[in-house]
Amino acid sequence: MAKNSPSKSGPSKSGSAKSASAKSGEGLDHELIRELAELLTETGLSEIEIEKADMRIRVARNFTAGGQIPVTNLPPVAAPAPSSVAAKIASTEEVAHPGAVPSPMVGTVYLSPEPGADPFIKVGQQVSEGETLMIVEAMKTMNHIPAPRSGKITSILIENQQPVEFGEPLLIIE
Amino acid sequence: MFDKVLIANRGEIALRIQRACKELGIATVAVHSTADADAMHVKLADETVCIGPPSATESYLNIPSLLAACEISGADALHPGYGFLSENARFADILDEHGITFIGPSADHIRLMGDKIAAKETAKKLGIPVVPGSAGGISSEKHAKKVAAQIGYPVLIKAAAGGGGRGMKVAQCEEDLGLALSTAKTESKAAFGDDTMYLEKYLGRPRHIEVQVISDGRGNAVHLGERDCSLQRRHQKVWEEAPSPALNNEQREDIGQTVSSAIAELGYSGVGTVEFLYENGEFYFIEMNTRLQVEHPVTEMITGLDIVIEQIRIASGAPLSITQDEVRMSGHAIECRINAENASTFIPSPGKISYFHPPGGLGVRVDSGVYAGYTIPAYYDSLIGKLIVHGKNRNECMMRLKRALGEFVIDGIETTIPLFSALINEQDIVNGLYDIHWLENYLEKH
Repeated sequence: MAKNSPSKSGPSKSGSAKSASAKSGEGLDHELIRELAELLTETGLSEIEIEKADMRIRVARNFTAGGQIPVTNLPPVAAPAPSSVAAKIASTEEVAHPGAVPSPMVGTVYLSPEPGADPFIKVGQQVSEGETLMIVEAMKTMNHIPAPRSGKITSILIENQQPVEFGEPLLIIE
Repeated sequence: MFDKVLIANRGEIALRIQRACKELGIATVAVHSTADADAMHVKLADETVCIGPPSATESYLNIPSLLAACEISGADALHPGYGFLSENARFADILDEHGITFIGPSADHIRLMGDKIAAKETAKKLGIPVVPGSAGGISSEKHAKKVAAQIGYPVLIKAAAGGGGRGMKVAQCEEDLGLALSTAKTESKAAFGDDTMYLEKYLGRPRHIEVQVISDGRGNAVHLGERDCSLQRRHQKVWEEAPSPALNNEQREDIGQTVSSAIAELGYSGVGTVEFLYENGEFYFIEMNTRLQVEHPVTEMITGLDIVIEQIRIASGAPLSITQDEVRMSGHAIECRINAENASTFIPSPGKISYFHPPGGLGVRVDSGVYAGYTIPAYYDSLIGKLIVHGKNRNECMMRLKRALGEFVIDGIETTIPLFSALINEQDIVNGLYDIHWLENYLEKH
């Protein structure tokens, strides 16, 4: 599911992770900015923007300034009451990966069969075709998402209780 | 007032709804198929949810997917636009069960007007003039022949489950009636899953005149005048204008009053359009559309009222914001529906728009979500935008339309803009002298 900001972005939109500027309500979330800066370096992207309920952050790589990563602040954006969980960002490479398994429906992800139980899968695990990977729930109906093919799970792209849209990449099976 | 509205539609109408919500300070959720990920309203909405693959059945008509999207976004209301699920009573019921407000009338009223026989009976009871015909469904060929003999040939055989110009067959004389009836039944069964038919007098050269009405379900209803939508190709409206060149003020007031009283009495809540065939000074009810219509901007231009904002306000429980006395109609407006089709053959022309320059200036409005670089998907209808023009009178309006069409550039695909450029030069169009067969006759000749 994607939230828009003036320079459009969103966790599952493939391609444009545009640079964004943001301002948090009270003080900056240094941890998050550090995380984003690392993500920039890891993935080779030049900009990342993330918007949550009351905060919008943009981290951009300034190539001409010797590799520094400036963080710019914008005036606070009036925000609606937080109604959805902050989403993990899938990088451009992960979204386009041939092994990515897209969600067949709209709903909320549950990684375990029930609260407190072990998750269905973990990174590194071998799965066979048809095996349950996770649950996507909509309107109190739990839908088991089967593995489309056998292989090894190299990456899980979403978090527990994250809302997902049709086609959103859930994990990577190689 | 709603906090968040989910827009369950696409294209130009989704953008229209997005605009109304923004002006009311309501957060918006744009749902879209994978094919519509780059749509303008998707870019502008506060949140977006991809609800399925390109096929309409699996996306815009996919009720579970729409409900799930409401759930994860926390939308408290849903606007269905036109087409798709906008007149699906079951969908309205389901939303109600889930505590989401359907921006439209009650499921019962949708159902009532969706059954064309029941709609006609209701109209008659409420004092709205109807086309002479069978009192209900046709029970047999013998029954059909009896009714036809009473009302006189030619007759029109119509599907009770049809509407929008679909499921109709003409019988010119008694000899033709049997075959026309059986063919109509078979086609109706296939298209609508129901073969209940009814009979009506076939009008030779009527105009299609419809009345826009808004009611708040509390006995308050106003009419916003009529629209003349006679220029149609294969029962699809192509050009609409308000007011109708065929009516005088007295007739206008009269039919408007008849309709608004009827709708108020019905207890209807929301916007609606009552459609008539008009011939020789007489109005004949054909159907009521319980939703926003494509051509609503024409009424907005002459009244200055935002019909979608009114619709949303009423759905949120507010009373009507105006009385009939406060409604002011001024000037003349014309709308041209721009389709991504060749202007002569009407072969669809999806593809990438390389250059887009819409006309502007006083009294010119373009309702469209397309832009340079946008690719028109091949999966949906071909309407890509509406050009609506307003003038102090019909003459000024026509001059302005001619000027606006001359400025309108859409490159990369074919559009029906050339058709309108040709029409504005036709004497009959200039004089406002046309009926529902005019355009088809014109197209056959050219």
